[in-house]
Amino acid sequence: MSPDELDPVIHTPARLRIMVTLAALRDGDDLSFTGLQDLTALTPGNLITHLRKLEEAGYVATQKNGGGVTARTSVALTGEGRKALENYTAVLRQLLDSASPN
Amino acid sequence: MNDGTGTDQGMTMNAADAAAIMAEADARARPVLRPDHRVTFLVWGLIWFLGDGLTWLAVRGQHPYHGPNPGGYAATVLLAVLVSLASVGQSRAETGVRGLSVLRRWSFSLSALAGIGGAFAIEGALVHAGASRPVVGVFEAVAPVLVIGLLYLARFPVEQDWAVAGLGLWLVIAAAVGAYAGPQNVWAVAALAVGPAFLLVAALEQRRQRA
Repeated sequence: MSPDELDPVIHTPARLRIMVTLAALRDGDDLSFTGLQDLTALTPGNLITHLRKLEEAGYVATQKNGGGVTARTSVALTGEGRKALENYTAVLRQLLDSASPN
Repeated sequence: MNDGTGTDQGMTMNAADAAAIMAEADARARPVLRPDHRVTFLVWGLIWFLGDGLTWLAVRGQHPYHGPNPGGYAATVLLAVLVSLASVGQSRAETGVRGLSVLRRWSFSLSALAGIGGAFAIEGALVHAGASRPVVGVFEAVAPVLVIGLLYLARFPVEQDWAVAGLGLWLVIAAAVGAYAGPQNVWAVAALAVGPAFLLVAALEQRRQRA
């Protein structure tokens, strides 16, 4: 097992943080952009960039509601994203197990 | 940022770093994004235990039975309503979370308020129809227990939470059995059967979160 097997879309600190944060939501819930920004401590520009990557991979879905000053962007993991994070976690666990002396 | 090699803004990430980031992000997100019912169950348990227990102390030995002090009873019900609204307020505190879990909590709180309000209206109708004070007393002690019990049971298909469903079933049984204890002792049954049951579920929730 090598680190190359870790999903490269998720395997960056910022995107991993985003994915784990969104995975803490209950099924059927979503999180506002500002809420996600608070929890991940990313700048708005950074967050947008990483969300775009995750959205292109089909791992997150964003939805914009309303317009003007009342506009609200909400973000949630997709089923595919949840599965990808589970796979990532399984591979990571195997890597850590194989690296441990016991 | 180098997307394919696990770097981000120049920072390389190995497996141990990734595990640490996951643990830190999860520890930060979970308390904010997942509703915490421990306090709600704890407060409900104390309200029920103390409210019904004090009511029992007030009505035991009444001959003839004339029921609890209306002021004290109203204060207990008001407190219960405030707790219910506080649990809805908790959903507002979950910054930015929207969706089914928030809707579910609103639905539960409003249904509880409607159910208990409806029970009070029926109690008025019973009085109006000439029901005796002891009969009305039994009804006012068990109706809220039955309403809340049924609401907890109804949550099971969605939440699949055995502890909450068990609490719901227990409340329904406590209401049905307690009604046979008579207008005075029904309050003791409610205090001893309902209050500790909520406290037990709060303890189970605490254990679950620590696991």
